[in-house]
Amino acid sequence: MSGSTQPLLEVSDLATYFHARAGVVKAVDGVSFSLKRGEVMGLVGESGSGKSITGFSIIGLIDQPGRIEHGSIKLEGRELVGLPPAELRAIRGKAISMVFQDPMMTLNPMLTIGAQIGLALEAHENVSGAERRQRSIAALAQVRIPDPETKIDFYPHQFSGGMRQRVAIAIALLHRPRLIICDEPTTALDVSIQAEILAEMKELVAELGTALIWISHDLATVASIADHVCVMRYGRIVEAGPVLDVLTRPQHPYTQGLLDSLPSRAKPGALLARGAGTDAAPPPRLPRQAESGKRSADLPYVVIENVGKRFQRKSGVLRLLGQKLGVAGPLPLVQAVDAVSLSIARGEALGLVGESGSGKSTLGRMVAGIYAPDSGHVLLDGEHVMSGGERPHKITTRIQTIFQDPFASLNPRMRIGDSISEGPLAHGLVSRAEAGAYVAQWLAAVGLDPAFAGRYPHQFSGGQRQRVAIARALAMQPDVVVCDEPVASLDVSIQAQIINLLIRLRQELGLTLLFISHDLSVVRHLCDRVAIMHRGRIVESGPAGEVYDNPRDAYTKRLLAAVPVLPVA
Amino acid sequence: MLGHILGRLGQALAVMLVMSALVFVGVYAIGNPIDVLIGPDVSQDIRLDTIARYGLDQPLYRQYFTFLGRILHGDFGRSFVFGMPVLELILSRLPATLELTLAAVFGAAIIGIPAGIYAGYRPDGLAARAIMTISILGFSVPTFWIGLVLIIAFAVELQWLPAGGRGDTFAVFGVGWSFLTANGLSHLLLPAANLAFFKLALMTRLARAGTREAMLSDTVKFARAAGLSEWTVLRRHVLRLIAIPLVTVFGLEFASTLAFAVVTETIFSWPGIGKLIIDSITSLDRPVMVAYLMLVSFVFIMINFLVDLAYVGLDPRLRRAGSR
Repeated sequence: MSGSTQPLLEVSDLATYFHARAGVVKAVDGVSFSLKRGEVMGLVGESGSGKSITGFSIIGLIDQPGRIEHGSIKLEGRELVGLPPAELRAIRGKAISMVFQDPMMTLNPMLTIGAQIGLALEAHENVSGAERRQRSIAALAQVRIPDPETKIDFYPHQFSGGMRQRVAIAIALLHRPRLIICDEPTTALDVSIQAEILAEMKELVAELGTALIWISHDLATVASIADHVCVMRYGRIVEAGPVLDVLTRPQHPYTQGLLDSLPSRAKPGALLARGAGTDAAPPPRLPRQAESGKRSADLPYVVIENVGKRFQRKSGVLRLLGQKLGVAGPLPLVQAVDAVSLSIARGEALGLVGESGSGKSTLGRMVAGIYAPDSGHVLLDGEHVMSGGERPHKITTRIQTIFQDPFASLNPRMRIGDSISEGPLAHGLVSRAEAGAYVAQWLAAVGLDPAFAGRYPHQFSGGQRQRVAIARALAMQPDVVVCDEPVASLDVSIQAQIINLLIRLRQELGLTLLFISHDLSVVRHLCDRVAIMHRGRIVESGPAGEVYDNPRDAYTKRLLAAVPVLPVA
Repeated sequence: MLGHILGRLGQALAVMLVMSALVFVGVYAIGNPIDVLIGPDVSQDIRLDTIARYGLDQPLYRQYFTFLGRILHGDFGRSFVFGMPVLELILSRLPATLELTLAAVFGAAIIGIPAGIYAGYRPDGLAARAIMTISILGFSVPTFWIGLVLIIAFAVELQWLPAGGRGDTFAVFGVGWSFLTANGLSHLLLPAANLAFFKLALMTRLARAGTREAMLSDTVKFARAAGLSEWTVLRRHVLRLIAIPLVTVFGLEFASTLAFAVVTETIFSWPGIGKLIIDSITSLDRPVMVAYLMLVSFVFIMINFLVDLAYVGLDPRLRRAGSR
């Protein structure tokens, strides 16, 4: 065998099954591919497609009740399937290493960065204390962490998400492995950080000649880093080939469907191909809804005027005492939202875009009447959303909210029918006798079987739960809906369905939307106007097409440039 | 950090003050100590004289303030029964209980935590199942019954270990300790094992639950993916991740055992404070009861305080308030 022609990694007919009490789950079912030295391969699929399990199978980390059933994984000609645990361990971190999705979870919060790098170093080498520190500092410097001599003694919580992911990458690169498996490494990060990590990763891989398997649900990210791509579904590879070929001339209908469900590839406002065809009943309307709708559509409908919100950490006893005596100052305030003014016309959809910590969710919650603003006010149709006085509270039911995570926002011990009817019953929109029929109508309107009313949230999939959350918000017959990242945690095909549902309901009910998202393409697709938020302020706003095509603000330009783009045929 | 410590100390003082009032009033409601102190055939003059001598003729609040003033001077009064200062009496009994409690709690931790980690690491193994079955016994079988069984088995039938008492002690700083002599150690073994059994079960279950969760965490997966050995993963990562609930239970169990080792001390006639308090209650020795209850609340507060400090030592996220 000559070293130059032999592939680095050869996976053939790999099958990894999980033997649960309920039956066998064939997570990976006959996967074959090969990887050359220094090559970057994208592994794309939706949740449950088996892409992560393929990664874990290669690195030998399949836990009970999972098992590699058959097939072979060869690293430079050496068979890895069936190796004793000790030999597999000697390969892990040395020849093959792995980076995970969420850097908040992967690093041990109790140990310093230096200690964690040290442990990974000692796993394969005998090093003295001084050398260990020296090499840990060098590892941090390699992934461009500024001031590594100091940072080495930091704990993970003292780093930002992007910095933590760099530390994880530093650990993965420590022994110069021939292959790194990255499992959704940038999914939990903001787009601008993702762009940085992508660029650095590309450079490092080219510099060290390391091969890379980049597992992701995001076709655009994969397109920007990988040479080859494999599309997975139900534990099998449905399509494989050079990235450009697969993404511009997909052969398999599943790949075509994945691409079609991306809002970035559709005409703004149009129903997405993949999510279309969900036939649902028209939403039920109550009389009150019909009455309002007399005023002119030209007047600003939702007015956000000079709204600000600060957050402060609670002071300790001693600091309070110090403040009283005048020897200690108050703790620094975090200005989450800083004097923001916006208006939304009736029936308009305004997109609010920003990275984490930009204050977009706080602003959304103030519009929805969940937080009381410290300054300024929010008006709906000329009326205050919040009451005045010492303890302001929401005084309208005309604004409702849909949250990102329906599993967190639905009460797990409450039947979803009761969750939906709870608000309308409390506000007397429907009588107890009508509630059942009303809930059934709403379930039908969001494309769910009305018989599901008696089920609990855990009995639904993520997409179905989000439909329930939408029904619950709309059952209050609102005029304005604040959507806080409603599709962020969903797979692309499910995301397309929910986007279509929102488009349809918005038209049928004449809803006004405040749509909060970090995803620029979703916002462009759904919204008429867009406002870009950065550090508590609106840096730019205007009609969606205009802002996207001709950004004026420097931050908007950077943000738009950071978004990975799909190649177009 | 300093503010935190001072705040906790302030809280501790307030709790102690409330406790002293509650204890004083509560104990006042139990019987009349005079009936115990002097026989019923004593003349009325002597009776009144005794009442006056102990200050029992004063109104309740006066007695309380007198009591509070004395406490501030470190004077908890004299025992009616033993006729010696209460503080001295309690401190003379405390080492025995302290030694028994420490042996039980540390024994439980040293055996229970590794057993629990193992059971959590290999949850389907035969050994893990055996460990968990024994731990259910530890929860459900009453302590006094286990004590009696231990005595019957090891003292009466096998005659390996003594059934009661402290045995020989070795004096350090004027205080006698049993664990420093072979004979004392043999006396310590059975009561300590008896006390440890429940704690052992508790620690095992906690360590197992924590380990099972930690083994599924991304932290452990990432450490394994970096090639760390299983032993290093358990020792350096898992142990740190599960430490906080273990320290909490350790502290709580230590305090409650120190205060309420009564049953075991009675069965094994261990001369600790548990036995002292039982004797005091039956003889209505009011100063001893009051001082004992005050001591117990003090111990609870101090141990909770130390547990809080241990949290800060274990979890760096609690250390500097400024950073996230």
